[in-house]
Amino acid sequence: MNQQIEIGRLLRAGTTGFVAGCRVSQLTVPAFGALVRAPLGEGYQVYGIIHDIHIDDDGLVRQLVTSDHVSEEVMKDNRERRIVPVEMSVLAVGYEQDGKVHHLLPPRPPLSLDVIYLCDDKDLVRFTDAGRFGYFRHILNAKDAPIGEVLAAHIQQAGKAHGVESGMWKEKAVAELIGLLRDDYPTLMSALGALADIS
Amino acid sequence: MENKIIGYIVGGGLKESFRVRLTVDPLTVQEGAFVVIESGDYHFYGLVTDMQLGATDDRFADEKSDRLPAALAKALHGQTLYTNLEVLPALMLERGPDPASPEYDIWVKKIGDTVPHPIPVKTVPPHHSQVRMANEGDIAEIFGDPNVDGKFIIGYTREQGHPVCIDMEKFVQRSSGVFGATGTGKSFLTRLVLAGLMHYNKASVLVLDMHNEYGFDDVASDTKKAVTGLKTKFKSKIRVVGLGAGATIRGQVPDFNLEISTGDISTADIETLSRELNLKETTPTTLNALFGSFKNEWFARFKAMNRDEVEVEDEKGKMKRVPHPDSVAAWANDNGANVMAAEALHDKLRRLFGKPYIVEKPAADSVKNIIDALENGQHVVLSYGEHESDLDYLLVSNLLTRKIRAAWEKKTNEFRTHGKSEPRPLVIVVEEAHKLLNREMAAQTTFATIARELRKYYVTLLIVDQRPSQIYDEVMSQLGTRISGWLGDDLDIQAVLSGLSGRDALRGMLARLQPKEEVLLLGWGVPMPLPVKSRRYDDAFWKELLGGGGKKSEAQNLKELGF
Repeated sequence: MNQQIEIGRLLRAGTTGFVAGCRVSQLTVPAFGALVRAPLGEGYQVYGIIHDIHIDDDGLVRQLVTSDHVSEEVMKDNRERRIVPVEMSVLAVGYEQDGKVHHLLPPRPPLSLDVIYLCDDKDLVRFTDAGRFGYFRHILNAKDAPIGEVLAAHIQQAGKAHGVESGMWKEKAVAELIGLLRDDYPTLMSALGALADIS
Repeated sequence: MENKIIGYIVGGGLKESFRVRLTVDPLTVQEGAFVVIESGDYHFYGLVTDMQLGATDDRFADEKSDRLPAALAKALHGQTLYTNLEVLPALMLERGPDPASPEYDIWVKKIGDTVPHPIPVKTVPPHHSQVRMANEGDIAEIFGDPNVDGKFIIGYTREQGHPVCIDMEKFVQRSSGVFGATGTGKSFLTRLVLAGLMHYNKASVLVLDMHNEYGFDDVASDTKKAVTGLKTKFKSKIRVVGLGAGATIRGQVPDFNLEISTGDISTADIETLSRELNLKETTPTTLNALFGSFKNEWFARFKAMNRDEVEVEDEKGKMKRVPHPDSVAAWANDNGANVMAAEALHDKLRRLFGKPYIVEKPAADSVKNIIDALENGQHVVLSYGEHESDLDYLLVSNLLTRKIRAAWEKKTNEFRTHGKSEPRPLVIVVEEAHKLLNREMAAQTTFATIARELRKYYVTLLIVDQRPSQIYDEVMSQLGTRISGWLGDDLDIQAVLSGLSGRDALRGMLARLQPKEEVLLLGWGVPMPLPVKSRRYDDAFWKELLGGGGKKSEAQNLKELGF
């Protein structure tokens, strides 16, 4: 069994997405556009893509930023022992039931404090190769998210996970993306612009 | 054999054209391409009338996306920028289910012995039906198999060079037309068609060859190359007739000469020359009076009249000038005609009086000779020799045609009522047809009657003209097969397309035909409109036409002719 990378626990959830929180010290692992999963037992797990990572302020931080000098110690203390978590907004893109991946919205969202894991390459390949990029529509429906950037980041990461088939998979994904977005010039061009920057 | 798929149906309908999304390089398809839409049990046949560049969003087309990497740009263009074809639906044909499927046997039983024929398109293929270029088999299915007798290859499809035939049997049953602006290869096209008609030999052909182009060998007006005349190839099957005694055509002696007896000229013949001779409204009255006085001899007698006056002494002993007893004025006074009108007519007819081919007593009844030759299955090329003026052309063509039609009408009636032999179909080829068939003339000449009554009397027209817009609409609308070269004038294009469906779609195609190379086949005499690369009129053509299988039929023809 490969090692499971835990990136946080669930803060709040809905059908279309959920928010996970973690300590600042854990923040080195998750990345924008990464695929995450929340195993809920009985062969059911929810998949999502991180589309936003944000850090809220609190009264103390507000005071500290205005002070003239912030020492290393204070900085470290405020980051690591803070009670405000780093929040990761995740877009629900599918779920797995009894070993079968569905690119549909999950029937039930994960519950509070469920552990959220980062998907490894194997998971990533398994999820992205199921069906014909059906999960793209969830990303495209997320009006608040920077769709182009999320897609570009995702395609880059998933492409890498495909190893030798990286080029072929990317080509297929881009073709699908263009097909879905051919009537939506601004979104498509922002996605392609982002893809052009990473490739 | 199967051609590759070039696209799929994305829209359109019967009123407008079908729209086809092209999936191959647009450069491989041209306007005028003959395409087949395969949909279930039916094949739809259509003609590409337009090609349009499209984009799912104009901005994809507007902006050159060179900031994207090549691979991305290519993927983007493949999906967001596209070419649509407009396909004019023409025919559909029931093909039945796949022969390998069990439904096929049921279908075969159901249709029995009836072979499905192409019918006009009455329904639409569903979305995403696949579209492919027509192959040789498809073209043979629609236009006929070139190996079958009576099918004449007029040209080849533009892209793939498949032979396209016209059905000679249908061609002679209805009046037809060959059009094209001057210098677009109309004469060569006419030669081709004439060669086909004469070789087919189910109808006699009378060519009113105003410019002496078709009988003997000629030199092409543009390339200065020698052009084989029809007489050279068909030899005794063609009689070349020169107008006027002793006429030579291109330095060669014709088979016989045509002289017109004054007794053959009717008053109606003169009336048709109204515009040419600038005749007044009083003319018919005067002509009637002339005919009343002299009957068939009117022309000769009128010609013989003088304009003299003589001095006579009246009862008071005074000298008085009065018209000569043989003068026009004297005749007019005696017969209650207007002297001024009669004299004016006499003046104007002087142009005819001086024609050497109009004689009182011709050496032979050459009009009858022509009719006999045509009845016996020979073809006649009437060359006007040096009498190339409009006046000669109008007078002789009208007169001859009137006589011929009367002869054929008589034969037809004999055939119908007394069961005599069936008249041989006759095709009269009319050069510069607008001179004879324009709006003013059409009502008076025999040509319009022939065009209108179609094949009732076994006589049809083949109109050759460069200004179809000048031809009377009623005649134009009766033309079954229209073969048109390039036309520039909007009115001409409109005239050629009159009475056809899909006019708008075909309009541009006519204007974009390549001069001397391409012609558009049109009209209800052909199964569907199609632009073709016209066949070359050269030695290879003659070899193909007369060589090989042609020999047998030629021998057979000669036998039929009684040689």
